[in-house]
Amino acid sequence: MAEQKWPDKYPIEGRRGRKYGTVAAMKVAPMVKAAIGGAVEAKRQGKAVAYCFIESIYDEIIRAMDIVPMWTENYAGICGAKRDAQRFIDKADSLGFSRSLCTYATCGLGFDAWREELGEMPPNAPWGGQVKPDVMLSSGQIICDPRNKWYQACQQFMPDVPVYNCAALWPLYEDDLDRHDVEAYYVKYITEDLRGLVRFLEEHLHRKMDWERLWEVIKLADETTDLHVECRELRKAVPTPMDTGDAMNTMVAQCFLMGTREAYDFFKELRDELKYKVEHKLGVVPEEKYRLIWPGGLPSWFALTDFNYFWSKGAVFPVESTYHELVYSTKDLDLPQTDDPLEHLAWKWIRRQTYWWDKAKKRPGSEPDVEKLITWIEEYKIDGVVIHEAYSCRSWHVGLLWQVNQLSKIYRPIPVLTLKGGKKEVVYRELPSLVLESDMIDISSYSEAETRAKIDAFIETLESIKSRRVEV
Amino acid sequence: MDYFAGVDIGSTMTKVVIMGQEVIASVVRVTKPEQRRLAYLTMSEALREANLSFDELTYVVATGYGRINVPFADKQLTEISCHARGVTSLVPGTRTIIDIGGQDCKGIKVAGGRVVGFVMNDKCAAGTGRFLELTARALGVKLEEMGELALTSSNPVEISSTCTVFAQQEVVSKLAEGVALSDILAGLHQAIASRILSLVNRLGIEPEVVVTGGGAKNIGLVKALERKLGFPIVLPPDPLLTGALGAALLGRDLVEKAQKEGSFPTRQERRLEEVKFFA
Repeated sequence: MAEQKWPDKYPIEGRRGRKYGTVAAMKVAPMVKAAIGGAVEAKRQGKAVAYCFIESIYDEIIRAMDIVPMWTENYAGICGAKRDAQRFIDKADSLGFSRSLCTYATCGLGFDAWREELGEMPPNAPWGGQVKPDVMLSSGQIICDPRNKWYQACQQFMPDVPVYNCAALWPLYEDDLDRHDVEAYYVKYITEDLRGLVRFLEEHLHRKMDWERLWEVIKLADETTDLHVECRELRKAVPTPMDTGDAMNTMVAQCFLMGTREAYDFFKELRDELKYKVEHKLGVVPEEKYRLIWPGGLPSWFALTDFNYFWSKGAVFPVESTYHELVYSTKDLDLPQTDDPLEHLAWKWIRRQTYWWDKAKKRPGSEPDVEKLITWIEEYKIDGVVIHEAYSCRSWHVGLLWQVNQLSKIYRPIPVLTLKGGKKEVVYRELPSLVLESDMIDISSYSEAETRAKIDAFIETLESIKSRRVEV
Repeated sequence: MDYFAGVDIGSTMTKVVIMGQEVIASVVRVTKPEQRRLAYLTMSEALREANLSFDELTYVVATGYGRINVPFADKQLTEISCHARGVTSLVPGTRTIIDIGGQDCKGIKVAGGRVVGFVMNDKCAAGTGRFLELTARALGVKLEEMGELALTSSNPVEISSTCTVFAQQEVVSKLAEGVALSDILAGLHQAIASRILSLVNRLGIEPEVVVTGGGAKNIGLVKALERKLGFPIVLPPDPLLTGALGAALLGRDLVEKAQKEGSFPTRQERRLEEVKFFA
């Protein structure tokens, strides 16, 4: 593959694999290490540590109350990425937890059981280990079914650690339901739920919420999200300056550090880098041939190099839904004015979750997630869809397969006659999809040879479709 | 005259097709560990049959899971593309291809002769030739006789296990219960057919449906698939050769397309020589 003329401003010397990845993304590994190691150190210093789930509405609250988060799903992801999750999953298995459970949960439960059994971290725990928390902040967020029960199950090993279950509800989409008719009801519920969370934290961690500070953190988080949205917009460029391989890393700043100055600075730097690369037409690969979408779901964290394999074929992912499904600028959400920061958080949550409703209602039989994908497929000039069916991530992937089926009804392999400049033109809008099968951290479900054989066949399919477009 | 060759190294069988305007030679051999040597031997045999020298081949395409072990190929392409090309040349109205190979099973959706989607079962032996092979051994039946025997059944039993190992245990215990062999085999073929169709159904099965691979040679399995589909299946004249045929045809397509543009596709520095992995 040809090389690109690359500026010194974003050096690529000595890079392995992701040669043309963003410089910003390279800073993520130390950030994650600091976040995990930081929780261990915080505990040593007597600071309050909470088990948390990402994208659970409470980020700004815990930051404003100086609580150090321990992101348990993501710690499992780190174990997976370091190919060291199996021993913790096996530990949970030996305790009788079903192998059909989410492997993030079984990894975390196995780790906690082992740590509490030993009275110290399991030997050679990745990046210092998952520290025992002071509180556990559960989440009923609908997308992940184990979230409700995971921390309750943890109490078997840590009966002295209290749990608060933050419901974080949103209405499920229905054709004949106007979101504006029901959102105020949900906002009221969520606001009270968050008030309960603040009371719980004040009581168990012996501190008071500083409401002025909470507003400041919210403002910073909203500005950070605006920068993140700008980054996503910049990725529409051809060639794209950043793809999903990087986004699976940059999610750290959004999901682990939201509400901090560090996250704001990170996205500002990333935005500036992407702007520069777009202006100078610097792409993720020297010769961008195919643009793909990752419509949601979790990757195999131990096999992120599969993205590099796509790159080697000239295929890039300018957009993904994973970790982006809630990233919308507060300006676009048109949030009602309120003096109550908790109500502001509730409105932001509901408006993000129902962001695509109005558009979906205009297409009979559609659904918000499908509308989001159609919009992005058009805006990002997408040639194909790649999903990863992670066997233990049930609730997310059930929906994904349906979404891909819906897309195949819209993007059919039939010629469509269009008028362009007064002339008839035949257009093919077929959109092939590839379904990879494995798990996010259970490496026993993965085969590199088979995965890459599927990728090869998919690339040939894309090539064949593209050659037909050229022939026409 | 231009001649083209397709080499398909599958998990169980290695196939070579040589063609000019028509197929002039085809050879099928059992795949063995020394795939590079086998590729050489099978190609040499096909060249003898075609009465050609290796240098007379304009373009060689390798496919199958062992395609990287064909050092004399100009290009490697996946079996998905090759099966689609081979089958649609024989059955132009094909919409769905079910390839039942030795160690995997694939579904390929085709429109206008081109691949528009595919699925592969590559993690589980159920629904593959391996499943049939192992159960034939467990029941003491010849693999090639299984299908015919299954068709003589009047009361197929239900085999509920989809796992190859557990299904084997299940059929052996049915045998111990005194169930007729033909009824067990019929139940077994139905179970495999269900497994295959549940995979391929992800693509949305549309006729014409063409079955290829070793599974297509098992009449019991073909009939079980037809019963579940509710319409007849089309079998190509030699279902083992469609991948190699498609490889040769895709090689020809590449050359013809390049020639139209006044060029020639990239060709490897190639020599047909015996290569051994093991001393």
